[in-house]
Amino acid sequence: MTARTAQRGRYALAALAVTAAIAIAVTVVAFASPGRAPGRPFPPLRPAAAPAGWPHLALPNGTAVLSYPPSLRPLPGDTDAVSAARFGPGGAFQFYLNATPRQGSERLLGWAAFRLRLLRSDDAASAHQDAAAQGVKFRGGTGSCVIDDYLTRIGGHHYQEVACLVQGRTSASVIVAAAPAAAWARARPLLLRAVAAYLVR
Amino acid sequence: MISSLIRQTALSRHPRMLLALPAAALAVTLAACGSSGNPSAHPATPKPAGAAHSHTHSAPAHAAVTTPPASPATAPAPPPPTMAPTQPANPIPQGNSGDQDADNNGGPSDGDGNI
Repeated sequence: MTARTAQRGRYALAALAVTAAIAIAVTVVAFASPGRAPGRPFPPLRPAAAPAGWPHLALPNGTAVLSYPPSLRPLPGDTDAVSAARFGPGGAFQFYLNATPRQGSERLLGWAAFRLRLLRSDDAASAHQDAAAQGVKFRGGTGSCVIDDYLTRIGGHHYQEVACLVQGRTSASVIVAAAPAAAWARARPLLLRAVAAYLVR
Repeated sequence: MISSLIRQTALSRHPRMLLALPAAALAVTLAACGSSGNPSAHPATPKPAGAAHSHTHSAPAHAAVTTPPASPATAPAPPPPTMAPTQPANPIPQGNSGDQDADNNGGPSDGDGNI
């Protein structure tokens, strides 16, 4: 009787020890797991045609169409790209949209890192990722997107942008929608609307 | 009587140790597996070179940065890693001397591949 009681006690103790060990292990693994993505999630992007009245700019090679709000104006730039922007009273950028055919080693996989690396190596003194997503649906294709902010080398301007590499059926291109970081919260809905209206072929 | 009592005590203590040790080992193993992770599944974003990022964000999505454990006090400090800033083969010159894009004059960056 005493031996049976002692054995039952040992089993109970063992069960308790194993349960505690598993609980501790699960907690440690959960906090140490690299899959925990800190920060904000990428906002949902629902591909949809641009509202009526929005002008369109087709890439010269015909592989994509950028739609932009009527308050923006086309902007000169690279011959193979299209841009539109709105400027403030002092000539500062308020909204900026650009579409450019894929030119270099951009890939859907690792696009966010590529974009930040490019910013840091070219225009920006510093660049910082805010959110990123892959498998984003676009009109006519799928893309990888990143939201980041950066300080320009010239002028020290602080911009925030959403930049997406979009793969269509036959070609890939990049759409960039940017605004001063201080005005990002206000500009973001309109810019994301333009990104969601981006059409690729 | 005394020897029986001693045997009873040993039996009641020894199994506890035998049962607690595997549990502890399991916990340590799982913790070690979790902390090592798979670096390829979570690519580390390099820190910006040069000046510190002065502006603040409400909730930035920094990539996880793992710091190596501190070396023993007796060991000499390793030299700091030399990380040359990544430069493309032909960065577009800034200051209106490149391709005349707005981003070469302090404007927002366009989507070119910098080639």
